[in-house]
Amino acid sequence: MAAQTRKAAIVGGNRTPFARANSVYARASNQDMLTAAIDGLVARFGLQDAQVGEVVAGAVLKHSRDFNLTREAVLGSRLSAATPAYDVQQACGTGLEAAVLVANKIALGQVESGVAGGVDTASDAPVAVNEDLRRVLMELNRAKTLQQRLKALSGLRPGHLSPSVPSTSEPRTGLSMGEHAAVTAAHWGIGRTEQDELALASHRNLAAAYERGFFDDLVTPYLGLARDNNLRPDTSMEKLGKLKPVFGKGADATMTAGNSTPLTDGASAVLLASDEWAAERGLPVLAHLVDAQTAAVDHVHGGEGLLMAPVHAVPVLLARNGLTLQDFDFYEVHEAFASTVLATLKAWEDDAYCKETLGLDGALGSIDRSKLNVAGSSLAAGHPFAATGGRIVATLAKLLAEAGPGKRGLISICAAGGQGVVAILES
Amino acid sequence: MSDWYRDFANSGLGATITKQLGLPRPVELRRFEPGQPLLPGPAVVGSAGQGRLQEQLTTLLIDAGVTVSSPTADGERLSAVLLDATGLTGPADLAGAHALLAPAVKRLAPSGRVLVLADPPADADSPAQAAARQALEGLVRSLAKELRAGATANLVLVPAGAEAGLAGPVRFFLSGRSAYVDGQVLTLAAADVPAGQDEDRPLAGRTAVVTGAARGIGAAIARVLSRDGAHVVLVDVPAAGESLAAVANEVGGTAVAMDITAPDAGPRLARQLLARHGGADVVVHNAGITRDKLLVNMDADRWNAVLAVNLQAQLDLTQALLDTEGALKAGARVVSVSSQSGIAGNRGQTNYAASKAGIIGMVRAWAPAFAERGATVNAVAPGFIVTEMTAGMPLGTREIGARLNSLQQGGLPVDVAETIAWLAQPASAGVNGQVVRVCGQSLVGA
Amino acid sequence: MTAPSLPRLFVRAALTARGRGGELPGTRLARARVTVDPARLADYSAVCGYPLTGALPVTFPHLLAFPLQTALMTERAFPLALPGLVHVRQQVSVVRPIGADEALDVEVWAERLSSHRRGATVDLCAAVSAGGAEVWRGRSTYLARGATVPDGAPEADVDVPVGALDRTSARWRVPADAGRRYARVSGDVNPIHLSALSARLFGFPRAIAHGMWVEARALAALAGRLPDALTVDVAFRKPLLLPSTVDLATARAGEGWDLAVRSRDTEHLIGTVRPT
Repeated sequence: MAAQTRKAAIVGGNRTPFARANSVYARASNQDMLTAAIDGLVARFGLQDAQVGEVVAGAVLKHSRDFNLTREAVLGSRLSAATPAYDVQQACGTGLEAAVLVANKIALGQVESGVAGGVDTASDAPVAVNEDLRRVLMELNRAKTLQQRLKALSGLRPGHLSPSVPSTSEPRTGLSMGEHAAVTAAHWGIGRTEQDELALASHRNLAAAYERGFFDDLVTPYLGLARDNNLRPDTSMEKLGKLKPVFGKGADATMTAGNSTPLTDGASAVLLASDEWAAERGLPVLAHLVDAQTAAVDHVHGGEGLLMAPVHAVPVLLARNGLTLQDFDFYEVHEAFASTVLATLKAWEDDAYCKETLGLDGALGSIDRSKLNVAGSSLAAGHPFAATGGRIVATLAKLLAEAGPGKRGLISICAAGGQGVVAILES
Repeated sequence: MSDWYRDFANSGLGATITKQLGLPRPVELRRFEPGQPLLPGPAVVGSAGQGRLQEQLTTLLIDAGVTVSSPTADGERLSAVLLDATGLTGPADLAGAHALLAPAVKRLAPSGRVLVLADPPADADSPAQAAARQALEGLVRSLAKELRAGATANLVLVPAGAEAGLAGPVRFFLSGRSAYVDGQVLTLAAADVPAGQDEDRPLAGRTAVVTGAARGIGAAIARVLSRDGAHVVLVDVPAAGESLAAVANEVGGTAVAMDITAPDAGPRLARQLLARHGGADVVVHNAGITRDKLLVNMDADRWNAVLAVNLQAQLDLTQALLDTEGALKAGARVVSVSSQSGIAGNRGQTNYAASKAGIIGMVRAWAPAFAERGATVNAVAPGFIVTEMTAGMPLGTREIGARLNSLQQGGLPVDVAETIAWLAQPASAGVNGQVVRVCGQSLVGA
Repeated sequence: MTAPSLPRLFVRAALTARGRGGELPGTRLARARVTVDPARLADYSAVCGYPLTGALPVTFPHLLAFPLQTALMTERAFPLALPGLVHVRQQVSVVRPIGADEALDVEVWAERLSSHRRGATVDLCAAVSAGGAEVWRGRSTYLARGATVPDGAPEADVDVPVGALDRTSARWRVPADAGRRYARVSGDVNPIHLSALSARLFGFPRAIAHGMWVEARALAALAGRLPDALTVDVAFRKPLLLPSTVDLATARAGEGWDLAVRSRDTEHLIGTVRPT
């Protein structure tokens, strides 16, 4: 093992434009999209037939046939077939966690370069057979004699043919992510207007970033789609205000399709490397991944909100790096729901919460909102679960590179299962 | 894209019918493939007057493995006839040209080559000498129209002192790379020509930028430059990124999605070339758009868009590369894609033709400054090239467009690409400020 | 004795429902050295949402006692008619976790015939022992609507006090066949759980979920967070009509839990879990 560690460089990224579920990518599989994202990265950095240290990616909604999704995508890509790969899955934290894993191996000198990515499709989601049918089939599979087979088959019922469709419900609570978020929004008293304002800012920022060519070297069109098709550059408070709430009850029903992310298809990939590897190839270093932290909360029994884990992770990360919440030039807080971002910020501003729940001396304080999600985030771009981390890492790295050396950015991503992944990048 | 008429005319029944009807009978042109000999058969070299190039030409051919046969020998079909006309003193000496060419052309094989080399008329000592030199242009252009079966005739003007740069152009005109270049006059200039290049990979180790590389002619240029050994940086608009990435991955190049009309496009590209590739050796300005309308119906947007992409962006990008120390490497080659429309004009294309004519003015004006850096800047003007764009034209228009040239067929994107790749070679140092038409000697604007 | 056949008992109970009354008999029924079929345990765990481990789920021993209790209730001398009995309260005490491979002795009896404002209640009790030591005890309180009790009977006690339960911790989408599924693994084939048609015969608009299933599922949601030795006390309130969507609310109460299962405006179950 290397005697000392080094910080992994973020060379660049690539993603497909994100498409609302059942639209442009309705027929594309996870493997198709991940391959496209990797191939776009290969084209951008001239990595044809190159062997990178490893490719790490994952999908949240995954077919059983995709047990080796990332490796299969590598084999179908223009990377050298001698590039190893493995899958990870940490719900919406998958993409960022994949980047952290690659960065850690680079830091330890175990690899010189790697690609981290993620992909998800809600259009081509895996549909399993009914649990009863599955059991009959498993029994049939185990049967050795004709008699046993007939007995197994005698268990078949017409109702077994109805399929089992995946949902975004939390397995232990049965609540959808939106329902969970609504509980948190109500708890923190997050209002409709501030949620719509955040959504509006996301659309405006993303549209402006596209207009100035910011995504020219971060996005490669796929299947004829050149921009995220959830983006509504012309949306307004008035238009957002007309949408009916879909989550929450009564006065707390503040969450609409406009201030919640839609089901989305898409893939992303990020190229990480040691500084030396990048320099040898004349490749840029946009930023370094300084440190990362994960956290989880007990949303089942503990009373904490499902999507509040990043709130717990960030103070740990700040303390380890001797930083305050205000020591950043950019904040990328994943917009699972507008209310999630606002609850996160509000929690950090809450003295009692920070003391009692987070065990801190006091509130982390407010952030400069003009530094938040300046190139848009998931509300506008959409949110193909595992692909969001890669989108954010590449976007922030480029923002930092544009701003010049010594700039610092914070990433905060909430994930299903009450988890959170946060990280610091620095140019 | 297949040429259905050419295939038909070359089929058993089709051959009979086209012959009976006196219809054109286009042949499949000899095109370049790596490893191919310079010529498939023997060549003859002759002179009109006491030329100074005959020996150089003969040596060049022999070095390239070509059998140089006697002008008077009978029988064997010739792959090329080279006429050294640098000895012309007056019109009487042209008899020598006739004496060499008449029997040799009779023996010319399909896709044969007639190449005439002479001094520029402007450099002549006397009106008689100038007349004789100028006369060659009429001779060559007419002969090109008489030649059949894919054969071409071209004229290279070699001023005194430019002889060192002869090999590259001569090889080009004889080889399959010039399949669709016919009836052209090329003027060489004195230049420092690097000695020797790997003829199978003349661009090895070089970095070449191609704009508009996602499809059509641009993609063909990227493929040919890559085949010739260059690392290609492919530029196209972000919206074309999907096919851009596919072509980049095919040729092992680097994709750069950018709008070349953006204010910072030039500096951005220059910085990236410098940082990632240590500068560019070759820049091919291929990106172009059409927004056709009769002038009276043309709105300002159509006019401005075409001028911005096709002309202003080329000026700005080139200037940015010149201004960024090291972005253009020593001996750089810049090639701009002009158009037949820029030479002959085309109804409905005032904007497009203006932009493409402007390119010609641009390369001519820039040539001296480039020469000072040991670099060159040239334009290529394609004629009727069979692309996805022409496939969308009405059948009649397309077929007439494709046949209105001496080779009686449309060119292919690869023909344009081969010419550009040749201009990009180190051995093309003596070709500067030229406009090379790749049009099969089109009747339009000839 | 071997486990009585529940379907047969239900038929017999229905045929002998009329003309019951009087004091509780002192009968005790027992089975010795009962072992648990691993396949049945797996099926039960899957239906209730318990993780499959080497120990019996808190509510599982009830399945061993239930056939004996039913047999007791169908005896001629039992004062209340089985059809129409409503399970209103269930208390369970676990002395220690019970291994799935332990041989268990099961004994059941009835006690506390009590008067209730809507009729009479009776407790069916069960004690489960292993190696001579009691490891599990259950008390199921049933209400017989309109039934009368002899004079001097105590007042029924069917209330379970719980603290505030504001936080929804899970939402269940309970399918129409939930009753049939639980009947298959528990043997409780009471027609009110099986189908809308059979439930209607007993005055319910649709099939209703087994109270014991609702309780089991609620306890399963706390898997891993329950003390080893505990008492569970739940009151079954309004029947849970199938299918429906209900919320589970849980709240810490010291080392134990308070819990409730509710739909929009109806409380189906409230209960407490306390360490002992």
